[in-house]
Amino acid sequence: MRHARRHALGLLLPSLGLLLVLFYLPQLLMLAVSLGRRTAYGGVERSYSLANYLRALEPLYLAILWRSVVLAAVTTLVCLLVAYPVAYWLARRAPARYRSALLALVILPFWTSFLVRMYAWIVLLRSEGIVNLTLGALGLPPLELLYNDFAVLLGQLYGELPFMIVPLYVSLEKLDPSLLEAAADLGADARRRFASVVLPQTLPGIAAGCVLVFIPSLGCYLAPDLLGGGKTAYVGNLIQAQFAVARDMPFGAALSFVLSLVVAALLLLFRRPLAKAQAL
Amino acid sequence: MAGRTGVGAGRGLGLLTALVYAFLYAPILVLTALSFNASRLSGAWEGFTLDWYLRAAANPAILASLRNSLLVGAVVTALATALATAAALAFHRHRFRRQAALETLLTLPTVAPEIVLAASLLLLFAALGLRLGFATVILSHVAFTLSYAFVVVRARIAGFDRSLEEAAMDLGAGPLRTFLMVTLPALLPAVAAAALLVFALSIDDYVVTSFVAGVGATTLPLQIYSMVKSGVSPEINAVSTLLLAATGLLLLAAFLLEQGRSWRAAALPIGLGLAVLGAPFVLAGGGAPTGRVLNLYIWSGYIAPETIAKFEARHAAKVNLDLYDSNEALLAKLQAGNAGYDIVCPSDYSLQVLRAQGLLRRLDRAALPHFGNLDPAFLDRSYDPGNAHSVPYFWGTSGIAYHAGRVAEPPASWGALFDPRYRGRILMLDDAREAIGAALKWRGHSLNSTDPRQLAAAREDLLRQKPLVRTYNSSNFEDVLLSGDVWLEQAWNGQIAKAMELDAEIRYVLPREGSTLFIDNLAIPRDARDVALAHAFIDFTLEAEIAAEICRSMKYSSPNRAALPLLPAELRGNPAVFPPPEAMARLELIQDLGDATIAYDRLWTEVKAR
Repeated sequence: MRHARRHALGLLLPSLGLLLVLFYLPQLLMLAVSLGRRTAYGGVERSYSLANYLRALEPLYLAILWRSVVLAAVTTLVCLLVAYPVAYWLARRAPARYRSALLALVILPFWTSFLVRMYAWIVLLRSEGIVNLTLGALGLPPLELLYNDFAVLLGQLYGELPFMIVPLYVSLEKLDPSLLEAAADLGADARRRFASVVLPQTLPGIAAGCVLVFIPSLGCYLAPDLLGGGKTAYVGNLIQAQFAVARDMPFGAALSFVLSLVVAALLLLFRRPLAKAQAL
Repeated sequence: MAGRTGVGAGRGLGLLTALVYAFLYAPILVLTALSFNASRLSGAWEGFTLDWYLRAAANPAILASLRNSLLVGAVVTALATALATAAALAFHRHRFRRQAALETLLTLPTVAPEIVLAASLLLLFAALGLRLGFATVILSHVAFTLSYAFVVVRARIAGFDRSLEEAAMDLGAGPLRTFLMVTLPALLPAVAAAALLVFALSIDDYVVTSFVAGVGATTLPLQIYSMVKSGVSPEINAVSTLLLAATGLLLLAAFLLEQGRSWRAAALPIGLGLAVLGAPFVLAGGGAPTGRVLNLYIWSGYIAPETIAKFEARHAAKVNLDLYDSNEALLAKLQAGNAGYDIVCPSDYSLQVLRAQGLLRRLDRAALPHFGNLDPAFLDRSYDPGNAHSVPYFWGTSGIAYHAGRVAEPPASWGALFDPRYRGRILMLDDAREAIGAALKWRGHSLNSTDPRQLAAAREDLLRQKPLVRTYNSSNFEDVLLSGDVWLEQAWNGQIAKAMELDAEIRYVLPREGSTLFIDNLAIPRDARDVALAHAFIDFTLEAEIAAEICRSMKYSSPNRAALPLLPAELRGNPAVFPPPEAMARLELIQDLGDATIAYDRLWTEVKAR
């Protein structure tokens, strides 16, 4: 047993050590910065004040934070609704010999720059873009598809979908078919089988997918900027601006810790279902 | 029986899946088509061409960045996937006492916004005194991809049956054999999925890389971001298409082998795929150069490869070119220290910051014999009195660009951008200083005003304007004007001068209330390696013929008086590049406002948050 423990520790320590040095240590440095003050030239003056956190909690910034949480939640929900049937088809209905190839095809587009693909979407969606030209050719009126909330959500869905499909696929693929057969033999119809066998068995995948989509969505800024026309501020844009434009690193750091606290609170809130998912 | 009830549903699922694939590949089809489009504009199809591919293959910066990205992606994928798989196995093999806490430690990095990760890593590398370069890029990528890989592999392992491994051990297989024959095959789909994700994350990362990359470590996304501004996206479309084709071919080969086909059947796709992926390594060359090296960190679209080649030939030196697209990226790098650049090109107000922080070296005027070629109008400005630390390289303005065929009358005042008649057809620069500056100027104030009442009025104007604005954009705004999405826009002149060559109806005007003048300057950072060569480079750009060549190819305004007679008449006569003197007199430099920067940022956030 002790041997197994040492063995397991040996497997774990490299990752843990790497993250301690390259993630947790820098975060500590950042925490120190968030208590400091911006100097006139955008440097950081050391101090121990909560002023930046108080500023982050002003209504102006809280409204932006709330809007970001809503966008991330909607993105996650839409991703889940779209990704689940796709992952299900890939894992259980697609011919077995094509499965891994089809899954790879989901990720393949992501091997080109997101920026380049976003510009391609602009070409598709703009006033005289491909979609509207096609509509025009069919005698239909043009649609305002770009620089609005619809476009932001489309960009988010496009950017996050594979991060939902992959974990769902992984957990659906290992679903034991004999469980489904047993449920069918016991007289469960398709809906019942899905609700009482498939869904509970794939909760770990759903949990993993939701975490993988929700959290990056909270910090997103490219889709709002490029497809949304930069007309709405989300917390990702706000933090980006503190580091890049205002060069107010202390406030940017404070904002990001507030964001991390929101994420931690949400993870805590959903602790039960997540833990249940992990235990399966 | 279980299968039959699912047939109808299965067909529906299959159809939905096909639609999702169409959604994922629609933009891919567009960029592939654009890479063969004879037009530089992304809108209209003007016939088939391979020109963009040839240009990309002849562009050393694109090739080098592609090579760097592939190299980084391969190393990071191997490292992060192996580490994450090991960690996931550890949890599988053993129940630790603080299992949940340990797992949280490993997954928490997915929580941090990328920009914070980026800035914190830069802090760390600065604290450790590490030189920015490939190593820092690879370490950073491993740090932010590891958790993603862990989540994916862990989800699979959660339900993995230990009894199989135990059975293998009972049958006498050693731990290694058990791992290779039982554990790994069972985990392979998850490990492969994790590896694909890691590679995709690494090869597409911009934010983190832009902070931690150093000399010669420009990756493809950095190159792409810097090129979007200078409007050369067809070449980028060509590179993206090739990259997709190559990875697609390799996936095809893997698929053929998985189907039990012979290696011979897979040889063609493997060969083609590797040939495409290997091309940047061959074409870009590589290896450590002998002789002197100049590390140049400059705005994208500011110097042509031919000009650099001339300098290299004359001084038997190698120039490493890295590009940036914002002053802030430059400031972050230099303030962290150890960037290793010999020449940088800060704009006026950021030069003021760098100088105040002692990050620039005093120039040796004796080593700059061609200094006298410069127009005194661009010398001895407030950001660098006496030009002790800098030499002007390009200058430019912000103003109003418009499509003459679409607007009611030619705009002459900033007021046109606040005119309700143009609702939904106006673009404003997505830049706090420029947008607020325009509102201030419109009311007759200085664009460096810190007067709370004037700023409050600017805020009201910008809020009233917001419903009229179609988009805020400070990267490819000329594209948006060319495409017809907007009719008039706030713009910087250089990109508009290039757009004018594509559409004769595009005009540029400096509003009568005045607008921004910017001056970008060459300077030598304090920790430069080869100060003598850096001086030689600055003086090289000051020579009349070279300055004229740079101005001709880049279309920005040259501060070099001796170069002007060497320029073609149409360039000298272009009011977007060389505005009339009376308009020049109304221009104002943006100054660093110190603590008031926060007030501007807050105002801009208020406009955006509404």
